[in-house]
Amino acid sequence: MASTSILVPAFLKAYQPANLLNSRSGKILVIVQLSGGNDGLNTVIPYRNDIYYQQRPTLAVQKNEVLQVSDQLGLNPVLSPLQSLYDNGLLSIVNNVGYPNPDRSHFRSMDIWQTASESNEYLSTGWLGRYLDSSCQGCEAAHHALEVDDELSLALKGQQKKGFAMSNPQQLKRQTNNPLLKHLAGQDHHEHEENVAYLYKIMADTYSSADYLSEKAKTHSSKMTYPASAFGKRLKQVAELISADTDTRIYYVSLSGFDTHVNQKNQQERLLKQYAEGMSAFVKDLKQNKLLDDTLIMTFSEFGRRVKQNASRGTDHGTANNLFLIGGKLKRPGFFNEGPNLSTLDKGDLIYKVDFRDIYATILDKWLEGNSKQVLNKSFQGLNLV
Amino acid sequence: MEKIKHLYGRAGFGLSIGEWEQKRKLSVSQAVNELFTKALATPPLSPPNDPDVEGFLQMSEKDKAESRKKERRLVVLQSAAWIKRMSDEKESPLLERMTLFWHGHFACQSKTSAMAGNQLNTIRKHALGNFRELVLAIAKDPSMIRFLNNQQNRKQKPNENFARELMELFTIGRGNYTEKDIKEAARAFTGWSSTAKGEFIFRARVHDYGQKTFFGKSGRFDGTDIIDMILEKKETAQFIVRKIYRYFVNEDINEKHVQQLSNSFYASDYDIAKLMQSIFLSDWFYETKNRGSKIKSPVDLVAGMMKNLHIEFENELALVFLQRSLGQSLFNPPNVAGWPGNRSWVDNSTLMIRLNLPAYLFNSKEVNFKLKEEFEAKRQNKITRRLTAKVDLNPIFTQVIGKDIEEQVDYLSTYLLPNSGKIPMPLFKRITRGKSEEDTTRLVLLGLMSMPEYQMC
Repeated sequence: MASTSILVPAFLKAYQPANLLNSRSGKILVIVQLSGGNDGLNTVIPYRNDIYYQQRPTLAVQKNEVLQVSDQLGLNPVLSPLQSLYDNGLLSIVNNVGYPNPDRSHFRSMDIWQTASESNEYLSTGWLGRYLDSSCQGCEAAHHALEVDDELSLALKGQQKKGFAMSNPQQLKRQTNNPLLKHLAGQDHHEHEENVAYLYKIMADTYSSADYLSEKAKTHSSKMTYPASAFGKRLKQVAELISADTDTRIYYVSLSGFDTHVNQKNQQERLLKQYAEGMSAFVKDLKQNKLLDDTLIMTFSEFGRRVKQNASRGTDHGTANNLFLIGGKLKRPGFFNEGPNLSTLDKGDLIYKVDFRDIYATILDKWLEGNSKQVLNKSFQGLNLV
Repeated sequence: MEKIKHLYGRAGFGLSIGEWEQKRKLSVSQAVNELFTKALATPPLSPPNDPDVEGFLQMSEKDKAESRKKERRLVVLQSAAWIKRMSDEKESPLLERMTLFWHGHFACQSKTSAMAGNQLNTIRKHALGNFRELVLAIAKDPSMIRFLNNQQNRKQKPNENFARELMELFTIGRGNYTEKDIKEAARAFTGWSSTAKGEFIFRARVHDYGQKTFFGKSGRFDGTDIIDMILEKKETAQFIVRKIYRYFVNEDINEKHVQQLSNSFYASDYDIAKLMQSIFLSDWFYETKNRGSKIKSPVDLVAGMMKNLHIEFENELALVFLQRSLGQSLFNPPNVAGWPGNRSWVDNSTLMIRLNLPAYLFNSKEVNFKLKEEFEAKRQNKITRRLTAKVDLNPIFTQVIGKDIEEQVDYLSTYLLPNSGKIPMPLFKRITRGKSEEDTTRLVLLGLMSMPEYQMC
């Protein structure tokens, strides 16, 4: 572990009330993770494809119900709030996204997406964490990358820098109101052993960020109606922080429960509805505050599901999937590429055409002004997306 | 005294106050001797019950799912029982520590309680034995066979997963073999499989008896030959010693020490106990730079705290919650590479739980933290967040009775913290002003255990 390089002077600053005037410089990235493996084929529907209807006799969305946004592909009707985004050029759908030698374990495939590793490579840092480490300029604050959750995902963990987890400011305050810790956080820790100093630094940063974020969260209160779910609340939280000009450039939000082996229809549609209503409110909110051009939202899931439905009116773990980009500055709104080829499958699974790391590379280079080669340890061409 | 604390922190899970009073007077060699004697005299755990395979096969899909869920629950309860064993004064701390180390090294996710239990017993049996026998036992372990797809490794269609990880992570490390070596090794392990009941079976019909070329030699090798050939390479001894050094001594490797240890590990034909003894008996192990430099893993932290405060959780699932929220669930490492350890344990979220943990425990409070939902979970899981626990401070009260605040802080920080930290004495004086004798001790304990230094060993 490179333990010495982190000992820069800024590292030694003890907790001080944060500079509340700090504000954002640069574009914002919001990642929405659909955990559990969202069934892409019932999200974006190949409604002209007979194979789809043959393989899914009871699960397919009927042609007349599909929102037929293009002449080949349509959206699940519960995604209707997304139709206006599609119509207004605020949504890009990339089909057939995946990676070579796909892994069908949730945990493993999620790790592959979050670390941007090869499928037989094990990395202990995430792609956004490595971005913080290597090519994020002027992002010293811990909350520069913020996950709206109690737990921090691997995607946001770098070797030296890590993102910040906060489900809401009140919760964070409760964690930090231990008076003993508050006192310790104010201690000077120049003389500590390196790893102890590291802990003191994270503690001091947590206190600074807790102050800063709870102040910022008070500045702007959204009038928009979001879904009443936890996911809706989290999106609202993000919109409020963005609107308050918070010094955070990366937000990470998850929606889980997509592992629909049994009786898929109700469960998936309930979640997709939450997702679509949330995104629609979020986009309107940002637009009202003239922030949509500064924001890019990427939605992904760790894998799609098998083409053929199973015996329990559900679907099992699959491979390639679609990925959504939402924002005001998309280069290729609408469908970025063709839909899945259902007649050429790999043992019943879709074959990927777009490596997700090409999308990451695009975002890193074009949107976050980073260096994708450094972050991904490999050169990816990137795509004409943003 | 500092040496004894260091030894028990690394070779075990710290000391209860009673043990501390007793062991601090020992010499290093006495203490090491005691640790090994006890470890080698410890009997195996009782084997898990046989699974009811026929019954499972006859179940409906729904009942099968239910049964799998039950099994997962039994696995997490085993993890809780293991942590209790780590903190139990009657158990061998060294044996549990070594078992935990190898559990992280041969990282494997176990699906059933029987397979988890059997694997744990296998590792425990060889934890201080011979590394060759340990590797061979792992290659025949049903849980590992399934985890790394050796079940699907057949002559007609070899699966390389086990062979690859065997070399990359378990024995020799990257850079010491070719892709061709992996392919040939995979052929040698074809047919190493497990029965539905979860027992090792060699399926001769799918084994590839043909000629293989591995590390430049040709022959009709099987899996045992491959392991022998890997261990014939000195690089394997070096790879293992480096990992042990980073785990037990310091992330920052001293090449000279590693070289010496590797040579004797190789010369001893991979005798693990000898290797560990030479580490714990060396002078450099106790150097200041190696003491208190390691961030405790979540399991270390919790087991150690249970020892320090004689904690008994009212609900065992509290231990499951702690493992998950702090990021180390036994029998469920993140992947085959195990837990990356050290600084990766800590982010703002896990650190705040760690630092608040003593306060939660002293007050039986609910932890301010929600676990991420499971992939399939429909509702918030029912794992308790309330850390209702019995904390027995009497053994500590006995030791500090009659001592004034400065003496108490001095005594308890020596007991609890490595290198004793830089103690904010004015703070301790302020918070204990006017408090009863017992409350004073309680607050001193709470204060010391809330210090980041307590996270170190």
